[in-house]
Amino acid sequence: MSQTYQLTLTIRRYDPDGNRSWDQTYGLEAGAILRFVDLFRRINVEQDATLSWVSSCEHGQCGSCSVQVNGRPMLACELLVENAVALFGATRFRIEPVTVAPVVRDLVVDWEQAYERVHRAKPYVIRPIEPPPGVTELQISPKEIARYEEATRCINCFCCATACLSTHRNFIGPNAAMASVIRLMDVREEEKDERLALLYSEEGVYRCHTSKACTHVCPKKIDVAHFIALAKEGSF
Amino acid sequence: MGNPLTIHATQQCDVLIIGAGGAGLRCAVHLLEKRPDLSILAVTKVAHPQKSHTSTAQGGLAAVDPRDKMDKPIYHMFDTWKGGDCTSDQDVVKRIVEGGWEQIQWLERRGMHLSRNDEGNISKRQFGGHTIEFGKGDSCRAVFEADRTGKGMMDTAWGEALKRGTVFLNFSIATEILFQDGVCAGALLFNFKEGEFTKVLARATVLATGGSGQVYRITTNCRGNTGDGLAVILRAGLPIMDAEAVQFHPTGIVGPGILASEALRSEGGILRNNEMEPFMERYAPKMKDLAPRDIVARSIETEIREGRGIMNPDHQIAHVWIDLRHLSAYVHEVKLKEVASFFKTYANLDSRTQLCPVRPSNHYHMGGIPTNADGAVQRATGETVPGLFAIGECACASFHGFNRLGTNSLLELLVMGKAAGECVLSYLKDGRNADPAGAGEQTLSRFSGYLAARGTENTGRIRMEMRDMMTNKVGVFRDERGMREAVAALEAYKRRSAGAAIATRGLRTNQELLERWELDNLLDVAMVIAQGALVRQESRGAHFREDFPERSDAFQFHNIESMIEFGKVLFARRPVDMSLQTAGDAHSDHFKVIPRKY
Repeated sequence: MSQTYQLTLTIRRYDPDGNRSWDQTYGLEAGAILRFVDLFRRINVEQDATLSWVSSCEHGQCGSCSVQVNGRPMLACELLVENAVALFGATRFRIEPVTVAPVVRDLVVDWEQAYERVHRAKPYVIRPIEPPPGVTELQISPKEIARYEEATRCINCFCCATACLSTHRNFIGPNAAMASVIRLMDVREEEKDERLALLYSEEGVYRCHTSKACTHVCPKKIDVAHFIALAKEGSF
Repeated sequence: MGNPLTIHATQQCDVLIIGAGGAGLRCAVHLLEKRPDLSILAVTKVAHPQKSHTSTAQGGLAAVDPRDKMDKPIYHMFDTWKGGDCTSDQDVVKRIVEGGWEQIQWLERRGMHLSRNDEGNISKRQFGGHTIEFGKGDSCRAVFEADRTGKGMMDTAWGEALKRGTVFLNFSIATEILFQDGVCAGALLFNFKEGEFTKVLARATVLATGGSGQVYRITTNCRGNTGDGLAVILRAGLPIMDAEAVQFHPTGIVGPGILASEALRSEGGILRNNEMEPFMERYAPKMKDLAPRDIVARSIETEIREGRGIMNPDHQIAHVWIDLRHLSAYVHEVKLKEVASFFKTYANLDSRTQLCPVRPSNHYHMGGIPTNADGAVQRATGETVPGLFAIGECACASFHGFNRLGTNSLLELLVMGKAAGECVLSYLKDGRNADPAGAGEQTLSRFSGYLAARGTENTGRIRMEMRDMMTNKVGVFRDERGMREAVAALEAYKRRSAGAAIATRGLRTNQELLERWELDNLLDVAMVIAQGALVRQESRGAHFREDFPERSDAFQFHNIESMIEFGKVLFARRPVDMSLQTAGDAHSDHFKVIPRKY
């Protein structure tokens, strides 16, 4: 079980001070179940301390370490070496930052700009329903919640937005749209009109070309396209 | 570079919140719900508040439902007191437990997607150490959102903070707390995305910087949990409390360190060593694999130390196996679905047919910045520092004593976030902005030193070596000799760190510079943990001394620990609040110093 792989990682670099971009190639031997975040850390210690990358929880729950591996957006904390070799049928990998925001340095992007879309979709209850007098907690049937529960697992890693054909053409993006769809389906939200206005605006769901790339790449295995489709149908 | 570092800007706000996880943002939202006119600046080290460590909490959030006919807050107080090995402060325990259900309602009204039962009411589940009638039976008091309770809570707190106009500053750290005549006046921030230092003058400052798990090699904690708040407090000449109280979960998954929950063992999983022996039978003949967390953790460590562990070749980490192969397909596919998927994702193993690697993993820091029951930060003398508050894992009120019960941390974040918010509101009546002379000089000199350093040392390598050393010598097992070696090793790391040059040019998103600062924080916090553990010549909760295996009444107090210069730790004592015991009511006897036996 202790197979090792001779890997070649070509990483897209960017230096903000010299405003310079280049490809840099690192070779390293790595065990089968090391993750790509472990590889980046090893590069920092063994070869090049200047390589910048982002992570936080490193177990698929925060969505900070999204990168493109051979063009596919993925969480670097969940990608094991042997799985990457199997998935791409190669030991050479090209690693680039995600495309949803300007690059700050190397694999680090300006997450604030990426999140601006999610903030615009208002990821909270805009106008909460007033419970009847004497009621402190609403009753919501699990069946009701099951209709949108899958979408609440979204961690805003922006892999879907990176893969989306339409994100860069004024579409607010799959994860941002889904944040609004959740509250349209949540009985506690009274402010439906404002949400519909956004979803059916110039940057709304009709920008979506239904490539379903969002669903295809989602690390949390959320059927993002399904929720976009619900919004197109207006069946919340 | 080459130019001297400067403070780029000065900014004013009413309340500066350092750390935008669950505690910090619960506090922010309370302030804005009461005073929408306040300007609140919330600073986070991560890329966005949603990336905070709070989001990783899985199991639940303990709170006694007032409509529950079986459960009572006094039972929850007892469980917390007993679980903390009689070192929790009872005034704090009472306050947090009694404030629990109000927080559930707060979350529910603001859109948290709590799991529901068939009637549509909020579901609850059982969790280890939570009982009714003072240990007589199991209680059901953990509300949850599937297996992602922390994420649900974080999304709610973040959403509300956003909705109410909190100003966020991401990718930023607080490097220095500012004071004017002993009153906190704000903090110096370093926005490492932009590479700029900003002086923030605030009428009140709340520290909510989270834990310090990166002190250890295997941890459930985020990459950025480097004890920053504790280190900054120590550098301000203020103390931390009970730093030696560090919790280890017995079964972290080798690799990322994430939790393989207790459920594995309660469903029938068996721990085995390299000879396939079900070794828990030797350590706990009756309870075997279901023995309490600390006993299981020590048993696994003993197997590994005595050469019956297995070395993972990829991560170079010794572990034992958990055997789940005999469990039914239903257990694998339904009851253990999440954990089974972790083994698949992070070790490429199928728990139905393969043994899975686990070992103790650092999980939680009970110790932290000493505060009163309102979250006001205290000096070594016990008097509070005007204008400075601390909440969440970086703080120590103390709710958890020397061992935290599962599901009590999320509860603490919320209740103390609100409590500190309330205290800030009354403080703001007097608080005013000051602009202390010399603010930021300490920071600029420290960071200039980092940038000027020359040598061949590597910050990441020293960090890795330190984490290994702390795991071996100040981890699950501690003894005097090992800890003296640890103190000496930390001194050596400190000396070596001076020779770690930074190759990245420029200040913008200079990861090396950030990690160099983190290394100093880790070394400072590790030093206080090691020395605190050294002077506490007893075993208490998660702190286990092989040379002093029993709890001792001679140490029935909190350690107050200050570090004037690296390695020189000064100690004072704070008594444990016993107000539930001295209340003299029908339940008082349960709140004496009692044995922690299950």
